[in-house]
Formats: sequence, C-alpha cells, structure tokens
Amino acid sequence: MPLGDRGLLVRFGRTLSDDANRAAIAFARQLRARLPDGVREIDPNLVSVLLTYDPRVMAFERLAGEVRLLLSVAPGAASKAVPGAQRIAVTFGGEGGPDLEEAAAALKLSPAEFVAAHNSTPLRVLTTGFAPGFVYCGFHPEALRLPRRTTVRPPVPPGSILFAAGQTAITATAVRTGWHVIGRSAFRNFDPSADPPTKLLEGDSVTFVVET
Amino acid sequence: MKAAIRLTRVGPSATIQDTGRPGMLQHGVSESGPMDRGAFLRAGMSLGGAGAAIEFTRAGLDFSIEQGSCRAALAGGSFTLACNGAPAAWPAMLDLQPGDQVSITPGAGGNYGYLRFDQEIDVPAVLGSRSTNLVAALGGLAGRALRAGDGLGLTSLGPATTQSPSRPPNESGPIRFLWGIHADLFPPAVRQAFVGSEFTVSSQLDRMGVRLDDRGGVFAGAPILSLVSDAIVAGDIQILGDRTPIVLMRDHQPTGGYPRIGTVISADLDRFAQMRPGSTLAFAPVTLQKAHELFVASVL
Repeated sequence: MPLGDRGLLVRFGRTLSDDANRAAIAFARQLRARLPDGVREIDPNLVSVLLTYDPRVMAFERLAGEVRLLLSVAPGAASKAVPGAQRIAVTFGGEGGPDLEEAAAALKLSPAEFVAAHNSTPLRVLTTGFAPGFVYCGFHPEALRLPRRTTVRPPVPPGSILFAAGQTAITATAVRTGWHVIGRSAFRNFDPSADPPTKLLEGDSVTFVVET
Repeated sequence: MKAAIRLTRVGPSATIQDTGRPGMLQHGVSESGPMDRGAFLRAGMSLGGAGAAIEFTRAGLDFSIEQGSCRAALAGGSFTLACNGAPAAWPAMLDLQPGDQVSITPGAGGNYGYLRFDQEIDVPAVLGSRSTNLVAALGGLAGRALRAGDGLGLTSLGPATTQSPSRPPNESGPIRFLWGIHADLFPPAVRQAFVGSEFTVSSQLDRMGVRLDDRGGVFAGAPILSLVSDAIVAGDIQILGDRTPIVLMRDHQPTGGYPRIGTVISADLDRFAQMRPGSTLAFAPVTLQKAHELFVASVL
C-alpha cells in the first residue's frame, strides 16, 4: 500500500506477532540482497517494510508489481544467511536500572531471579526505530510480560536497557521512555561516524549477560 | 581569503540544512532537510551552485561578513530585508564584502526562509549530510540550533552541487493528501468530517510537527487505538492520544504508534510548512496518480 507519494509499505500484519515480524525481517533481508531498481531506501519495521522511491524514476504500479513478484518467490540464499550474534553485558539495577526491583516484583520474582530469566534465552532484534540506533529485541515468554509504566521518565542515557511488552530495548541516544529501565550497558548501537552507523541488523541474535 | 560570517541575531530554531539525509530511516534517523524544500532549491538556483542553507524562522536573522567576499541568495516566505541599513526586495541576491551587515526581520508571511551562498558552509557532513537533526542532535553546527555569536566559515563547493529547479507554489486551495495507512480504522463519518472541516494551524509548530486546532471537533469522538508502531514519512497526519491532529514534518520520529488518517502530498508540504499559526486550512484527498503529477509539475 502507498505511504504518502514516495513510499510503498509492505505490511505483514496489523498487530505485533512473531510470525509477522519474522516475515518482515525475511523480506527486508531479501531486499538487502537485491534492491529493486528505483528504490531509494528500505526501512524494516516491527511488522512491515517501507520502500521509498522517486516517482520520477519509478512508477508505483511497477514497483508494486516487483514487490508482489519478490513476495511470491521463496527468499533467496542471501536472506537465509546466518544472522549476526551479539553479546551485551549489562549492569542490572542500581543507578542505571532504577526500575529493576519494581519490574521483578510485578512479575513476583526477586531481582536475581528476574535477571536470570531475562538473560536465559537469546532474543531477536525485531527492528531499529523510534530513535537513532534504538533496537527492539524480543520476544520474552508470556511469564515475563509486563506493560509499560504509566509515566514517562526524563531522558535516560545511551546504553540503557529497557523492558516492557515482552521485549527488551536498548537505547543508543538519550530518550524519554515509559518503559522499565532495568540496567545499563557500555554497548552503543549508534555511531554517526561509522558506516553503517548501527551495529545490529533486524534478525540478529542478542544475548544479554551480567557485566562482571 | 576564505569568507566567514558572524551571526549577530538569530531567531529560535534556525538550523543548517542541505537536501537532507535519506537512507537512514533503517538506522532510526529521519531525513531532515529544508522545511520548504522548493524555496531552498530556488535560492540555490539563482546562485547557479550553492552549498547548504541557513534555515531561519519567523523572527529572522542578522549577520555580518567578517572576512572574504561571497554571493548570497535569500528566498522562502516573505521577510523584510536590509543590507547595511538599506531596504532590499525579497527574495534577494546580494554580493557581500567584509563589514557588510545583513538584517532579515519578520515580513508579511511564511515561517521559514533560506540563506545560501555560492560557497559551502564549513561544517562536517554527518551520515552524508550537513542537515541539522535537532531531535537526534546530528549534523549542522554541533547538532544544535544556531545562536547569536556563532561564526561560520565558507569553503569551496563540493562536487555534488547540481541544483534541481523548483517552481514556486501558486496554489491557495486546500492542502491535498493521500488517505493514510490507518484511514480504514477511522469511522466513515470521521473521514467525511475530516475532508469537510476547517482546521487552524496552532502555535505549536516546529521541525518535528505542526499541531492543528480541530475547531470542528472532527476527532473528538474518534476511537483511541493501540497500534503496532510503524514507519512514519514527512506529511503524515497523525491523531495523538488527546485527539490533536499533528502533521509530521522533516525531523519526524522515524516510527510511531498513533493512527494516521492521511499523508500530505509532496507538492503541498512546502506550502503547508509556511502557514503561520492562526491560518485556516482544509484537507482534500487526491489519488496517488494526481499526487505524482503535481509533484513532477512542482519540480520541473
């Protein structure tokens, strides 16, 4: 479907689900392997991929046709490439994680039990969005689902580890947040002097460990 | 000797902008670039080749030439201009020498004006662009708005300075839009009222977005939806949780979860950006084909 007069949005669902996110990631990786002519950029989201185009160069209908064709064929070898894997060391709780105890208590866990459960399985990078280098990672099991806080905090520093809605997010710039701030890491996913400026790609595997 | 200018008075939220920073949405960085892209291009066109612009807001800007000489072009909105105290017409082209003082003060209309030189503004390109992204604190002069006292050096133009032409908009009718990615989630009566009602530009407007006063209460009864966060593009008309409509502009958040009823077409976004607080407007839907025709007509 069109998103404005320079965007084509391919949606794989209208709510956040594991299947829809996996489909969006697979399609994004397929596009990264071979970008259709006339596409300016691709922007994978939680359950969709945005393609932007210059209407002087590429007609919407032609682009839509190419996209339909791509979606109808099995993803190529490139999109099956092994995703990256990143270990992220986190100092949970304390000054950098003021909401750890509250979040653990809401799930009827001790902070140590919460951290162990949180770190027990690798998560997938669902998408980058909201702010530069800000990544959403998921999904935690149902037992670790917690809604966002009811209030928004003043900006938290880069490297903050946020927790809500069955996901863990990592900030790369100072942002305001309504998520539970559970820890802080030295990991920085955004460096404007690097090319590309972010390290994590949608679909990558992220393992959180306790900073020692 | 390389030219250098000194800003002696700067209105709020003046920034350095070039054509923008495309391709970075996937890294969580919106494109930025001039709020009135056409005016930015027209200033460059009159110079033949030009570097990044200083985008200034309604209050304008005063600057002086500290050293060297340069040619400057000014365009966008309608501002009051004086060079060494002598009034000058708007838009303008000025040949400037050391000691010259230029004063840009509020004029009859518009929110944004552009000052470009036949040289490049000597600030580093960040992720391929000199555009300032105030939200992400990237680009421009240390990622921030310009302030009185700032000095800017001018340097030779880079290779990619081909200027695309642009026609000034001569429309005064409704702001045209395409139905948005969440239009089907609004009841038909709300969609109908959206097209038939007048809105007023509120005083809350910046490079991120322009809030509108929903005088007719079009969205007063609209359902509040919880949506999966999705890509945003400039021009998206989003309805906030308190039911305020906001048109998202060049420094928009890269993603958002509020419902979007439509997207202002590219050909009308410059005109919309220049509408001052208190201006009334109506929205009119067009087809994608029409939006493309109007876009091509605006740039050729």
